[in-house]
Amino acid sequence: MTTQTETVDQIFDAASSSRHSGFVIRSVDIRRVYQMGDSETHALRGVTLDIERGEYMSIMGPSGSGKSTFFNMIGGLDKPTAGKVYIDQVDIAQLDPYELAWLRCRKVGYIFQSFNLIQVMSCLENVMLPMSFAGLDSEKARDKAMDILDKVGLGDRALHKPQEMSGGQQQRVAIARSLANSPDILLADEPTGNLDLRTGEEIIELFVKLRDDLGVTIITATHDLKMLRASDRVVWIDDGLITKVTTPDEMNIEISEIH
Amino acid sequence: MDQVGTQEKLPFSRAVQISIRSMKIRLGRSIVTLSGIVLGIAFLMSNLVSQLILDAVKEEREHRQTVGLMQAVFHSEVGSIAEKQITAVVYGEMKAAEKMFLDNLGGLTSGQIQIIRQGAALPETSDVMIVLGQDPRAAHSLAQLTAGLPDKLVLDALGTRDYSGDTPVDVRRELFFSEQTAERRAELAKERKEATFRTIWIVIISVFVTMISVSNALLMSVTERFREIGTMKCLGALSSFIRTLFLIESSLLGAAGSAVGVLIGILLPMVIYGFTYNFGVIAGSMDYPLLGLCAVVAVIIGTVLSVAAAIYPARVAANMVPADALRSTV
Ligand SMILES: Nc1ncnc2c1ncn2[C@@H]1O[C@H](COP(=O)(O)OP(=O)(O)OP(=O)(O)O)[C@@H](O)[C@H]1O
Ligand SMILES: [Mg+2]
Repeated sequence: MTTQTETVDQIFDAASSSRHSGFVIRSVDIRRVYQMGDSETHALRGVTLDIERGEYMSIMGPSGSGKSTFFNMIGGLDKPTAGKVYIDQVDIAQLDPYELAWLRCRKVGYIFQSFNLIQVMSCLENVMLPMSFAGLDSEKARDKAMDILDKVGLGDRALHKPQEMSGGQQQRVAIARSLANSPDILLADEPTGNLDLRTGEEIIELFVKLRDDLGVTIITATHDLKMLRASDRVVWIDDGLITKVTTPDEMNIEISEIH
Repeated sequence: MDQVGTQEKLPFSRAVQISIRSMKIRLGRSIVTLSGIVLGIAFLMSNLVSQLILDAVKEEREHRQTVGLMQAVFHSEVGSIAEKQITAVVYGEMKAAEKMFLDNLGGLTSGQIQIIRQGAALPETSDVMIVLGQDPRAAHSLAQLTAGLPDKLVLDALGTRDYSGDTPVDVRRELFFSEQTAERRAELAKERKEATFRTIWIVIISVFVTMISVSNALLMSVTERFREIGTMKCLGALSSFIRTLFLIESSLLGAAGSAVGVLIGILLPMVIYGFTYNFGVIAGSMDYPLLGLCAVVAVIIGTVLSVAAAIYPARVAANMVPADALRSTV
């Protein structure tokens, strides 16, 4: 993917040009309680956060602080116990199943922490899947999926099954799949966790390019310093609450203070 | 494309395409599921066919016994039939054993035997008179029947037959085979009842075993894909699409597996019993319409069970919140 980033525009069709400014996602006091028998886990305790269109935001927090839960809420994969999530000013609790499916299919791209690739399908088929849900015919989907796989450096591995690939390669397939329908919003849960320095940097480059050229809103959970530095804002979550919101510059100072 | 759009339903043909591709992709797993269905239906079908074969063989054996008895009486009363002219009067429908007896007789004495149906005229003379058929109302009197006979002997296959007119004193009417006593009849009825009960029991057990085998195969194949279903929902699949996918897949697997199972379930008992008894006897006395009915019912049972076993968990998974479906591990 080293020399190919300039063709990103070709992958993303004209659909993305109609983006305008304003908050693309707003979460208002969202809470999520997991009921497990008698015990309750308060994964989110009232998170209010506005995310601007075209923003690249990182979320930091210790394990179990509620990052993945937050992603599920703002991506329409789960319903908050209380509070509201707006995507493009629409309260997603009001959406019917068809609109929710449309949202998940075209508006939002997900990179799951555990990849969630379909094990029996090849990488190519995994990347083609969201396209077929969007009604794209197989021929076009295949070409487009090959393009994206090339972009993440897996063009020559397109026909392999996920089990035959390393963690980093699987992660890149997950990234490729999230870009399948040219989403407005990219939700990436630790997208560089399994990648080596070089590949990680390339993914960051790709994200920055997506934001700069196409105005894609990118939200990542990460512990990767490079990734934090590339982002516009860093949101700190602890025990289901936002503890602070900083810019990467402020964060640099804090980190140098610690060291 | 601003704001939120509505996800289009994919056309059914596209769903068929995707589900066939998905079955091909997981060919190994599909074959395991398929063999679960095949096994269940083959079990059911082979039990049904075994019953049919045993019934057929039993009936065949009963006929042979009856025919043997008839022949024994016939020979002790008539002796050698060489050069003798035989008249067989038939009232109503003949039982299989009577037909068999007549066939055997006809084979031995071509040209010597004359068959008279209900209303037809009797021949002038003959040496032996046999009366067959299950209609108890005889159209002739015994006097008419024995008019041209030298020894006035009538061999009758039905003990309860009612002859019109008076019976001349010199006429002897013998039964072909010993009438069953009331005790024996009760015994046979009891045996038959027990056999029916056993058959019903075997069918019920088979259906249960088949149900468990088939639904287990399908249940496994769906529940192990909960995560996959969750992933598909996260990527924008509609619940209805997932249900359609599993409906197509399970009905195709169910129909194919049942068809193969029925075939195995017919051939296997045929071969096994064919060695013990005789292929000819089994093939000759098989109740084919009933066999066909059993085959059709078995395929329907297999397909319906497969679809029912797959669709319920698929529906549950399809209606789950995607985040939950993603986490479920089976
Ligand atoms: N489906 C669930 N059922 C019950 N508890 C859950 C569920 N999902 C998450 N939790 C709990 O909610 C809390 C937050 O979990 P979450 O996955 O959001 O953390 P995280 O910040 O993503 O952690 P990590 O960095 O390890 O991925 C944890 O205490 C977890 O045990
Ligand atoms: Mg997490």
